[in-house]
Amino acid sequence: MTDQLMNTPVGVPFAMTNGNRVPAARYFDRDFARLESERLWSRTWQMACRLEEIPTPGDYVTYTIGDQSLIVLRLDETTIRAYQNACRHRGTQLAMGSGSFRGGQIACPFHGWRWNLDGTNSFVYGEGAFTEYVADPLELCLPQAKVDTWGGCVFVNLDPGAPPLQEALDPMPSLLDPLGIDLMKVVWWKAVDLPANWKLAMEAFIEGYHVMASHPQITQGQFDDYNPDALAYEVHDNGHSHYINRPGAQRSQRRKVDYLDEVEALIDASRILCEGLEAMTLPSDLHVIETLRHREVAEDASLGSELVKVIYEHAAQQGIPLPKLRGKDLMKWGGVFFVFPNYFVLPQYGNALCYRFRPVHGDPERCLLELWSVSIPGANDDIGKPELQGPFAPDDTDHWPLIPLQDFANITRQQKGVHNRTFVNTRISHIYEVGIANLHQEVDRFLAQD
Amino acid sequence: MPNVRVDPEGIVISLDPPESLIEAAWRLGYYWPTRCYGQAECTACHIEIVEGEHHASPIGAEEAATLATMGPRGRQVRLACRTTFDGDAAVYKRGVRVAE
Repeated sequence: MTDQLMNTPVGVPFAMTNGNRVPAARYFDRDFARLESERLWSRTWQMACRLEEIPTPGDYVTYTIGDQSLIVLRLDETTIRAYQNACRHRGTQLAMGSGSFRGGQIACPFHGWRWNLDGTNSFVYGEGAFTEYVADPLELCLPQAKVDTWGGCVFVNLDPGAPPLQEALDPMPSLLDPLGIDLMKVVWWKAVDLPANWKLAMEAFIEGYHVMASHPQITQGQFDDYNPDALAYEVHDNGHSHYINRPGAQRSQRRKVDYLDEVEALIDASRILCEGLEAMTLPSDLHVIETLRHREVAEDASLGSELVKVIYEHAAQQGIPLPKLRGKDLMKWGGVFFVFPNYFVLPQYGNALCYRFRPVHGDPERCLLELWSVSIPGANDDIGKPELQGPFAPDDTDHWPLIPLQDFANITRQQKGVHNRTFVNTRISHIYEVGIANLHQEVDRFLAQD
Repeated sequence: MPNVRVDPEGIVISLDPPESLIEAAWRLGYYWPTRCYGQAECTACHIEIVEGEHHASPIGAEEAATLATMGPRGRQVRLACRTTFDGDAAVYKRGVRVAE
């Protein structure tokens, strides 16, 4: 395979010049990170919070990207706003962390200036001494960022001229919406402070090519017999990509004796995911899958269709409104969907694991990764406000199960390795790692814009 | 709904828990001294419980940290923005009045 030549983006340092190599400096160069801050993070739609975090008018979270901070606020049942988090007086941050503004007021702790939840100024202490500034109420309104919702999340964009969210996300909503991800609520939410560039860290999740070597428990002893072509990779416009299990790659042998072997293999694999990831396959799903052992099936039954049946029977019993899926949507269970620039959805049954990666301000070699296990609640399940656990260290065995520990260890070692003076660029597969090239090419598209 | 009398004015606030005392007062159209508007930061809303202390909600970590900044005080001193009641009580708070 010859290198895939590309048009080099003008004015972008360490630009992607072909689709098979990523210049290593993109993972540690400070000027490159600064350019990302100025031209990428300031212009892209980013997942700011889960909707469950702000259920009641007045509830807010602060969203930080680099040195910029927004207050994401529920104004009323149908309206969410994102305000620039700086007092218009002398710049003090009006909110920190998350909480609820009470009495309909956002108050600055420094001199007591206040705003209504709609962003209009409501109080200037000693107002008479500020005539020039308070004369124009618009000057004191909290500036807004763009805000919209998708998939159970609030998205924000710092660029007033940005395209609508649905346009930027295309085609990911059309792929994921049928799975009911907007119905899913947070089961747990954890963060890890990774000593790695945000892109490098994300790349470990954009491909499944690493599973054979990094997660031997998942391959159940197949090692390099594990078929790298069992996954089908696809890249999209706007930097997005996804991969799913290739149709037919896990086909049942359709013979009773083999069927029961397959059932045991599925139970083992499900237990590894349930215990090793604590998401996607939840303990209740594992229990359901274990019932396949004793389930009467037709002679020509396939494991895949029996699995789907028991999952839907369980959902019906629990009052879980799992959407009815067509075959091609069922194939998305167990897939990985990357939403540019920094969000992932990994759907499975009525659940998903979601990731968000953010650079840590000022350091191109640190990022914060948050993980949400989400699930469509049953009729009797309570939905509370999710609470972040962590951030924990990447090698904290008390707080991370097996599979993330394996990924975090790789990421930590790779970030050190890319500094090696003989290592100029990565070498990536045009099939298994095509999503990585797609990510970097979309980054460059933003970096090339003044 | 628990009724909380606010002395010295004798104003009676009917609470709808889990709303806090200050939120109930706002809902009923009263002004209540505050600077931070319910963020448990400023201490301006603080009350002294004079009757029915056992009906007051427990003190959370956030309120405890802010109360600690107030120096020596009686144990009945609480923040109106972090206290609710599950039964009738009386508190002392100057400055509460019908909002303009």
